[in-house]
Amino acid sequence: MNYKLLHIFRNTPFGRETFLQSLYFCKIINAHPVVYIPKSDKFLMYFSNDAVQVDLDASYLTSPETAKTHAQDLFDEMEIKSKFFEPKNFTASSLPDIPTNFDYLCCPRSVSDLSSKIGLGHLGPKVRRIIKHATFPILITSPVFKPWKSISVFFGGSKNAMNSLKIGLKIAMSSGLPLDIYTCLEKKEASHYKELINAADLTEPVKQLSRKWHFYEKDDFDTMLYDIPHNSLIVLGAYGHGLIKDFLFGSKMEQIQSTVTNNLLITGPHCSISL
Amino acid sequence: MSKIKNWYKRIYHELFHLDDRLLLIIAGSIVGICSGLAAVALRLSLESALEWLHPYRSYGWAFLLPAIGAVLSSFYLEKISREGAGHGVPEVIYSVSRYGGLLRLRSSFSRLISSLLTIGSGGSAGPEAPVVMSGSAIGSNIAKFLGLNDRQRITLVGCGTAGAIASIFNAPIAGLVFSVEVILGEWKFVNIIPIAIAAVAGAQISQSIIPAQVIFNHHPFNIGVSDILPSLCLGIVTAFVSVLFTKILRQTGKIAKKTSFPFWVRAIIGGCTVGMIGMFMPVVLGEGYHFIQLMILGTFSMGTFLIFVAIFAKIFATAMTLGWGGSGGIFAPCLLIGSLTGILFHKMLFVFFPDIISAREGAYALLGMTGLISGVMQAPLTGIFLIVEITGGYETILPLIVVSSISSTMSHYIEPASFYLKELIERGQFLRPGTDARILSDLDLGELVDKEHIRVSENMVFREFIELIKTSNQNFFPVIEDATDEYKGVIQITAIRKYVLDPGMYDMIFLNQVMDTDILTASLDNGLQEVLDMMDMNNMDSISVVEHDLFIGMISKNRILDLYRRELIMQTTAH
Repeated sequence: MNYKLLHIFRNTPFGRETFLQSLYFCKIINAHPVVYIPKSDKFLMYFSNDAVQVDLDASYLTSPETAKTHAQDLFDEMEIKSKFFEPKNFTASSLPDIPTNFDYLCCPRSVSDLSSKIGLGHLGPKVRRIIKHATFPILITSPVFKPWKSISVFFGGSKNAMNSLKIGLKIAMSSGLPLDIYTCLEKKEASHYKELINAADLTEPVKQLSRKWHFYEKDDFDTMLYDIPHNSLIVLGAYGHGLIKDFLFGSKMEQIQSTVTNNLLITGPHCSISL
Repeated sequence: MSKIKNWYKRIYHELFHLDDRLLLIIAGSIVGICSGLAAVALRLSLESALEWLHPYRSYGWAFLLPAIGAVLSSFYLEKISREGAGHGVPEVIYSVSRYGGLLRLRSSFSRLISSLLTIGSGGSAGPEAPVVMSGSAIGSNIAKFLGLNDRQRITLVGCGTAGAIASIFNAPIAGLVFSVEVILGEWKFVNIIPIAIAAVAGAQISQSIIPAQVIFNHHPFNIGVSDILPSLCLGIVTAFVSVLFTKILRQTGKIAKKTSFPFWVRAIIGGCTVGMIGMFMPVVLGEGYHFIQLMILGTFSMGTFLIFVAIFAKIFATAMTLGWGGSGGIFAPCLLIGSLTGILFHKMLFVFFPDIISAREGAYALLGMTGLISGVMQAPLTGIFLIVEITGGYETILPLIVVSSISSTMSHYIEPASFYLKELIERGQFLRPGTDARILSDLDLGELVDKEHIRVSENMVFREFIELIKTSNQNFFPVIEDATDEYKGVIQITAIRKYVLDPGMYDMIFLNQVMDTDILTASLDNGLQEVLDMMDMNNMDSISVVEHDLFIGMISKNRILDLYRRELIMQTTAH
């Protein structure tokens, strides 16, 4: 298949780590990376029901004269054919429109959260809005390049979690890497989750492709996070619960991303994944 | 939360499932009220700012005031709200024509603040375009909140525009006409009622908050048939002034962009220039409504030569304000330049024809305003209805129509694109509904690609290929490398005729020996127009689509035509 991942390149050592991670991701799942080297500190993404302006920090405009060469070097290092994206449409002269027809988007944590350049921090509102409206999964990379050796899917039973399971299975299929499923039991028995999988006709692929399904009690969420291998790609669904529940009790996605250093692949409510 | 959602869905379904017009009327009136409030807020804030700064205008350092305003305005736009500068109307038109009217929430207030800083400090610009931007963004975001589709969202954007213009000028019909003529570009029954209601709502809000507001008072003009011929000439004059104004505005902006100065230095240069001009000619400062009122009443005391200079001074000051970092629109400057042109024309008329029977100077100020609005925006109806409504002067309707049609036609002849559309047309992004360009841009290249095309291996023996084409109606066969699936070339049936007619060759040649490797291919990143251009230039009926060296499918002109017809029917028959 002709999957494409959009990466917004940052010509800094930290940006190099993120880009290497994107390239590695593409190599493993046979996707084609497309690099956008920003020329202004903002761009717009028009989704079906929202226009999201992404404001980049100044580091994205570092040494523009060497940016393309550096990106090309990294392409060559990973032996991947390079492709650069040049915006064709502009809402204003300094505000390019970035298409939303990619299959994946690499969205560094720092896109809208300046405090998280080194640490993990929280996802900024822009990343959240992109996740909320995107029809494609978002790759949130680890702070340093970290090749992953397995896939861990968080399955909580929601529609988005089902999508994350499907994409986890797809990646396992194309990469041949082992897949683990992690479920934190919330007032439901393990059989309930298995029935959900069965209803979605995923029992067979899960049997064939997954290594183990781990169940944890509700209070063992932190233990579950610790049990996930440090070199595993975590696939999870966002916005599985309502806004109020998230507001009162905190978002699981936020909790996970600010706790673990793994690469995260997040599917939002508008992602449509088929096996 | 889910209960609220279910409740909302039930109400929505119960009320609007039969006809979405009711939904648009209710939502449109809400949008009209909100955009009207935004316009009133800007107008009152501007009045307060101008009044507050008035005592300081007599000081020698007062020329710095527009510079301070421009710096604050550009700093706010660049660093706080992080929006590009500009007056915003092209952005609204762009969003309507390409993205179903999607606008950012921040646009609903950012231009109000930045234009308040620019105009309030004396910058030469108008508050109308910022309120249009604000009203449109309010409409777009209300549509987003209600989860409406593109068509409904565009209608609400139009409602926001109409409400804002209606509110700021207390002119609902002008609001409706401007919205449909300039922003939406299509007169559709389904749009007009919600937009009209929004315009009335906007005007009512304005009247209820500022009850005594009539922007331009006037006495009856006694304009007659004898003024028709001078109106014709005035139409020609305003057309030339409109073109000059448009060109200077654009050129000044381009020069500013070419400089390497940071945004705040540009704002200082622009602001100080305007301030210096304003020291000698205060008519150029701010939106200029007060001076327009004087001209309509016939009490404007400037001499003929100074009026002539003032026209150019205002044009230059507006260009320096908007091109060098300030924020605001060209509506009010058009009105001022138009009224100056009108009274200058009236004075010159009496110089050359002292015995002529003509209406008073004020009537010509109105005619000049219509001429400039119609010429710069190439929106004749907006020009006519705006002036008729804001002056309540229906006695001038015939000369207004004459001036407006002459000015808009002539300026269109000299400069085919209006000021609002010029940049979009140059970038190929002006796509009105129902036009070829719009339909082609709405077609998804991925949808046009025939992915079921039979592919052949480069190592296939020619005899096998002959057997294959016996059962296929394809004229093009993409050739693929076995090991990597890479696209290697294409075989056109017409190009291999000599091999087909020689059966002795069937077992001697492989497809990689007869394939065409230098035929152009398209990529999914190409726009449909680009693909069509490639096919036309190379006289091709079909083209291969290749991504990352992998064959994706073929695009044929027949398929494009089929989908074009389908899209055309959809766009022209929907509602």
